Amino acid sequence: MSEESGKRVINISIYRTDENGGGGYKDYEVPIQEGMVVLDAVRYVQEHIDTTLAIRWNCKAARCGSCAAEINNMPKLMCKTRIDTIKGKIRVAPMSAFNSVADLVADVSENYLINRQIPEFSPREAEIPWKIKQIDVERTKEFRKCIECFLCQDVCHVIRDHKADYVGPRHVVKAASLDMHPMDTVDRSEFLNNEGGIGYCNVTKCCQEVCPEGIKITDNAIIQEKERAADRFYDPLLWRREKKR
Amino acid sequence: MEFGREKNEIQSAYSSKRVIIPKELREPNPRLWAFIILVGIALYLMVIYPVKSFDGYVDPFYAPTILILPIVGLFRVTCYAYRKDYHRHIFKHPVECAIGKREDSAKRAYTGETGFFRFENLHRYFLYASILILPFFYYDIYKAVAFNGAITFAALLIAINTILVTVYLFSCHALRHLTGGRVDCFGCKFAGQRRKSYFDFQSYFNAHHEQLAWISLLMFVLVDLYLRALGAGLPINFTLLHL
Repeated sequence: MSEESGKRVINISIYRTDENGGGGYKDYEVPIQEGMVVLDAVRYVQEHIDTTLAIRWNCKAARCGSCAAEINNMPKLMCKTRIDTIKGKIRVAPMSAFNSVADLVADVSENYLINRQIPEFSPREAEIPWKIKQIDVERTKEFRKCIECFLCQDVCHVIRDHKADYVGPRHVVKAASLDMHPMDTVDRSEFLNNEGGIGYCNVTKCCQEVCPEGIKITDNAIIQEKERAADRFYDPLLWRREKKR
Repeated sequence: MEFGREKNEIQSAYSSKRVIIPKELREPNPRLWAFIILVGIALYLMVIYPVKSFDGYVDPFYAPTILILPIVGLFRVTCYAYRKDYHRHIFKHPVECAIGKREDSAKRAYTGETGFFRFENLHRYFLYASILILPFFYYDIYKAVAFNGAITFAALLIAINTILVTVYLFSCHALRHLTGGRVDCFGCKFAGQRRKSYFDFQSYFNAHHEQLAWISLLMFVLVDLYLRALGAGLPINFTLLHL
């Protein structure tokens, strides 16, 4: 932060792509306002300094997940990161686990393709309207808080560094929300263990650390799905029960 | 299933091979070697310098015998809390979540918990074995109090250690899966409301599983050192309450 002609300004470094597919950081000075978030600063650059800057945002209320980016090397929502919580220079980059579209816009479409591969919700036959007890609603409510910002996919080293055939934390959360639905009849642990590559997750909990909705991704979704997969594939005592079924 | 991600040479070649000893254990990693050497020295010292039961106090590492150590060790090695820690700080996959500081890269082969590391799925069996051992710890509290006819500081430490081990076991992810995690419809089960309440109660402790794992391990070591100091004749034990 610095003061120029009585006006407090902040230096923000934003990743800009060039026509050749490469890119680099470019510095901008933005006047500070009380309660400002990183998205405000980036929008200021777009509106007043360089209108060619590509950003994606929508609600500015941490509900839509559009403004996900890497702020000082940590995947975060730009609209939920206050300027005054950052010491020193601010560096904003797109989510680099995904292909870049332009500047801060990442192509997250692979997630929609993966989502389609998860076995769909298959309810058992029951009288309509369904009667579901509150205790069962509570369990999966946590997973439905997901705003699909894909910060967890971005921070996951399995996807980012190793490009392994792992669906990723967001999709395990999705599978868990369906698996733990009281009306559902499908067990997705088989999909997750085989095609979904849940074994590649080494429970290092980065996804849980970055989730803006505070979903306990690893504890409540991934580990529970890993345990379900262990029931089916790694627990000899349960194999017999499985066959009897 | 492939998800359209472009693989680099290392990952493509590695994923096509069937490897018994994974690259994680074979790559030059001083952290791993240091860890193995330290654990080896500690185990060697514990075997050649055992703490014999004296004045009714039993060292937790020898409760009831040092032979149970592999079970306790494997329970902790396959525990989700320690898995996170050693995958991060020993194998560096990744050290930190922040990009640029993670010391993990596409140049390093990675198997995660597939291949060799699938043995971690046996965690539940080590849990069952550990639950069977737990009563010995409670017996040791009784023994420490009954032998001296008083609650001493050493007995108190043994009791605190036992409570911490119990809470650590209770907060285990595998146990949580067994008691409620595997249930999809609590409302359809007998006493579903109570079972869900119990599941929530256990989940509260489970949220602190990592802290409990480390506090409990630290307490194990401290009680062991304390009892060794007592055995060496240091006057550091005192009576809290005569019975």
